[in-house]
Amino acid sequence: MSVVARLEEQVLRPEQELAALIDQASGDGAVVSFTGIARPHSKNGVTVHRLVLEHHPSLTRQSLEEIAVEAAARFEVSHVRVVHRCGEVLAGEPIVFAAAAAPHRRAAFEAADYLMDRLKTDAVFWKKEIGGAGPQWIEPTAADFADRERWG
Amino acid sequence: MKVLFYGCLADAIGPELTVDASGCSIAQLRDRLIAEHPTAQEALGSNRTRACIRDAIVHDHHVVDRTDVVEFLPPVSGG
Repeated sequence: MSVVARLEEQVLRPEQELAALIDQASGDGAVVSFTGIARPHSKNGVTVHRLVLEHHPSLTRQSLEEIAVEAAARFEVSHVRVVHRCGEVLAGEPIVFAAAAAPHRRAAFEAADYLMDRLKTDAVFWKKEIGGAGPQWIEPTAADFADRERWG
Repeated sequence: MKVLFYGCLADAIGPELTVDASGCSIAQLRDRLIAEHPTAQEALGSNRTRACIRDAIVHDHHVVDRTDVVEFLPPVSGG
């Protein structure tokens, strides 16, 4: 069992994270990964040039670790890997990588789904879109909170 | 004592204030900050904005000490 939860201040390279997880997952039958990418437009269709992800000096890393550890405890998985960007992220760049390896696919799918639902509402970041509408702080939507509630 | 702000609250108030609020509850501190910074009313008054001391969430009835550093965390959003 391994749990990786990392705050990435530079470039996030999902292909490298996935390769590292597959290397670890020898003996497992499934690896499921999710990569979140900064969208080039807002909910209202306005152009977004970049995101700014502010973080807390201690609570952000702590929240990533808690979410990853809880996913590992909750599902029959062998490895969990979460990498989250902070700072400036240009539209089109990866913002988050969340993945799990497991003996069987169902647990890996569920763990990845759980990781993202938790990250959306519980990871300690403050997200600002910079674009055509000026700076806009982004908070979780009602759908994000409903997704989070599915897991109790 | 120091009060730290993040996200939209740091935009509205600034990242840090020094206030004399020892003996105040968190709720009283919120009210005082709202009175001094009305543009922060919506975020500071929201029950989704949490107060934190030494990396632990504290409730509105918690009484602050002069040595505390209080951090106000508006709603978070990752992913």
